[in-house]
Amino acid sequence: MIPYQRDRQQTIPSSSVKIVGLGGAGANMLERVALDGTEGAELLALNTDARTLAACVAGEKIQLGRNLTKGLGAGGDPDLGHQAILESEEEIRLSLRGRRIVFLCVGLGGGTGSGAAPIITRIAREEGAFVVVFATMPFGFEGRRRREQAESCLNELAVLSNALVTFDNNRMGELVLAKQGIHEAFSAADRMICESIKAVIRLVIRPGLINVGLDDLMSALRTNRSRCLFGSGLAKGKDRAAAALRNALASPLLDQGALLKDAETVLVHLCGGEDLTLYEVELLMQRLQKFVPDSAHVLFGAAIDPAMGEGLSVTLISALPEDALAAAPRDSVDPEEKSFLDPSESFTTAAAAEPSATEPAVTEPEPDAPAARPSPEPLSLAAGPTSLEVAAADIPRLFGDDLPFAESTGDPQPNTTAPPETDPPTAKPAPKFPPAAKPEPEPPLPEASEFPEAKIGPFTFKPAQRSPSAPRLWGKTAPHKQEPPTGDPFEDDLETGSATPTPEPPATDSPAPTKLKLGVKPSSSQNELALDSAPRGRFEGQTPNVVDGEDLDLPPFLRKKK
Amino acid sequence: MARRTKIHVGLEIGTSKTCFVVGEVKPDTAVRILGIGTTKTAGVRKGEIYDFPQARACLRDALVKAEDASDVEIGSVFLAVTGSHIHGVNNRGTFRLPEGQSIVEADHVEEAKTIARDVHIPADHVHLHPIIRNYLLDGLYQNTSPTGLYGRTVEADFHIVHGIGARIQNSIRLVRETPLEVDDVVFSPIATAQMALNQEQRERGALVIDVGGGTTDYALYIDGSIAASGCIPVGGDHVTNDIHLVTGLPFSTAEKLKIAEGDASADPSRSVGIAKLDDDRGYAEVEVRRSILNEVIRQRLEETLRLVRQRLPEGAVETLGSGVFLTGGTSLMRGFSELAFEIFGRDIYRPEPPDVSGVQTSFKDPRYATAIGLIRYAQILETERPVHDGCISRVLRLFWPFHR
Repeated sequence: MIPYQRDRQQTIPSSSVKIVGLGGAGANMLERVALDGTEGAELLALNTDARTLAACVAGEKIQLGRNLTKGLGAGGDPDLGHQAILESEEEIRLSLRGRRIVFLCVGLGGGTGSGAAPIITRIAREEGAFVVVFATMPFGFEGRRRREQAESCLNELAVLSNALVTFDNNRMGELVLAKQGIHEAFSAADRMICESIKAVIRLVIRPGLINVGLDDLMSALRTNRSRCLFGSGLAKGKDRAAAALRNALASPLLDQGALLKDAETVLVHLCGGEDLTLYEVELLMQRLQKFVPDSAHVLFGAAIDPAMGEGLSVTLISALPEDALAAAPRDSVDPEEKSFLDPSESFTTAAAAEPSATEPAVTEPEPDAPAARPSPEPLSLAAGPTSLEVAAADIPRLFGDDLPFAESTGDPQPNTTAPPETDPPTAKPAPKFPPAAKPEPEPPLPEASEFPEAKIGPFTFKPAQRSPSAPRLWGKTAPHKQEPPTGDPFEDDLETGSATPTPEPPATDSPAPTKLKLGVKPSSSQNELALDSAPRGRFEGQTPNVVDGEDLDLPPFLRKKK
Repeated sequence: MARRTKIHVGLEIGTSKTCFVVGEVKPDTAVRILGIGTTKTAGVRKGEIYDFPQARACLRDALVKAEDASDVEIGSVFLAVTGSHIHGVNNRGTFRLPEGQSIVEADHVEEAKTIARDVHIPADHVHLHPIIRNYLLDGLYQNTSPTGLYGRTVEADFHIVHGIGARIQNSIRLVRETPLEVDDVVFSPIATAQMALNQEQRERGALVIDVGGGTTDYALYIDGSIAASGCIPVGGDHVTNDIHLVTGLPFSTAEKLKIAEGDASADPSRSVGIAKLDDDRGYAEVEVRRSILNEVIRQRLEETLRLVRQRLPEGAVETLGSGVFLTGGTSLMRGFSELAFEIFGRDIYRPEPPDVSGVQTSFKDPRYATAIGLIRYAQILETERPVHDGCISRVLRLFWPFHR
């Protein structure tokens, strides 16, 4: 089998992602990001205060205004922060060079944050990066002056950045219970921002089954003078789809989904482990429909990430026009934020490259789909070529040293009596479709015993068994399985048997009728589990009653003895 | 309001028997059993019908018996269904009041209920019961609808029972062909619980386990409302089958041996010696070591009960104030309550096998618990339903039997 390599170009390598923490608040967010781990993204801390900078965990640190503030902070003066960063501009430019996407985490209102953030955004844009700014607004009790500083900076950022996500500290109370410590409140806010960063990274880095890229992200946010709505939820276990959506909607930026009702474009991205089911996706999208207006353009993306394990993450990104925002009373505390998106030249090229790159992603699942349907392992096959490889490698190990069993059951599995890796030419049928698989196995027929792996074709794509070519192929391979005396009648039996649509096997004269029956019978379910051919008495011939891997139709008395 | 005496009929097409119970509900809500018609079922496995002609013949037979016994012409029945495809799930619907409104209105409660009911079930499944458990207003539990109260978020907890539509429809079709009308379709454990538990026991928390011939159904009540329900496709048939597989005895003998000699408690003193069955002429037909027989039975039932326990929500068993109520034919197995106590560690209530046969005693017989429960269920429906709606909803139900 040829492992099919995905075209990696459509995705952004994680090395070209940089997360910048600016000022004291930015350093805190960065710390949270570092603690949670970020798939190789680089962290850069910027601060005027040398002491805080030294304590920061980031891999890369740049002290701003070495000569100006002499290692002290900016003292709440944005002008000082502004001058300080100009001093280190070249250093920062060097550090951001070649990055495709830059996240800037900043707490606005203070000196360094408010003063330096617009400059860094400009530098990053000049270097051709897509800049997403996560900004926190100061508390109401911090005073008007600070608020004004923050707002004027925010206006600048809205023009300069590609996307701006603001979090108002006044809303921190929604994240935690009233009696929880202030420490919890801040870390909850940081965690939310960190989750958002990770979700965006996941979105642009992971090659999706249904891909969404930066272009989709752009169009989700492409509303002039808008505020970014952002929600990200992660859930595990039973009912995880609903739970993940609930968590995503619980984001204070979404106000329980109430704000989504005015959205024009909503980007939904799902990322799950290999056990993500279509059903879950359907369920989640159905629930989401309740919150999104019918007219909204829903950009949907899904990706499989084995690292997610049993988890399922949902990311909702949307932008709200400002006039709609004013109507929502709960947002009255929020500043008038403006986000004007004008993708720079360098970025538009990247975005333009996206659609062509997404094409393979769209067509890719197709070869999987027909193979996955009738195969005994729909999940792993559907999960993509990589797991297909694993699955095929595993099965021979299971059955390879178990020839007697293969002989007696006569079900499709024994076809893979040898590992497929040993014979490269036989791997050819794999990417092809069932009918095409037929001519391949025929030449090696005379020395079938030496080339049992020729049958990898029919195995990998089980539809071959149902195609008209299959019965013959099946019959011919049967004799070599050490059944010379019954070879011919057996072959005939099987031919008629598999030609008729009923799954019930003929098994009339075959030497091991019961076993054969057991092997072929549950063709509707995973017949690979029919390893133990113990009699089931009254429940013979019924679909196995399997709970937690135990067949309930067999006596526990016998099962536990084993 | 004055109500007439009404006659309800409960029908359970079980794996081992088909059973009609005709009950009379008096105006003072007292229930009197008029007659029972029961016959051995063929063509049903694990609670699901696999051979229609056979099942139909059994149904007709039971119907005739029931009509004879009760002297009532049966026109419509309440049907109990079960099967491993039926699941009970809990869902909570949350509705945030629109901006500017702070008083909960009936519409808001309805919306929360709609959201709660709208649990996503697989495409081929249909809802059997949406049962309201309780309401929450801003996180505070409310037993009744919070209409008219001040609040911000209304939540409704529902227990939703759903199963594969085609299979349920097939059961209904079987009954319709008889021909009988189906008043309502009820998930078996819910019907059983109506019979087995009273309100106080439900308030304190109780678990009903109906170990039948082909399935084990359970329903868990906590704080007066249902918290979990479901079906495990293992029952008395499996015990017989296990004996058959282990000892090699034919089914009929295995069944006889199970009933006559089986014991599920792990008590070694009951596993001494050899269990014998004599045939008609007095010869020993079967000899099986008790230790093996009892071990086979015990392991099967133990596993079944453990599966039930596994499926209950975490920590639910510990909160059961009333205990565990066992019903169903298999619960008559000797030593079953000891076994159940071992697994659940709560009080175990088990009906004793009736010593005299007859209509009066069948109330106590666990084998009829589900069918009698159906009458209770019908009675409760009757009291909840507005008086005037009679024929219209009946006609409606004709077309949509899941409507209630």
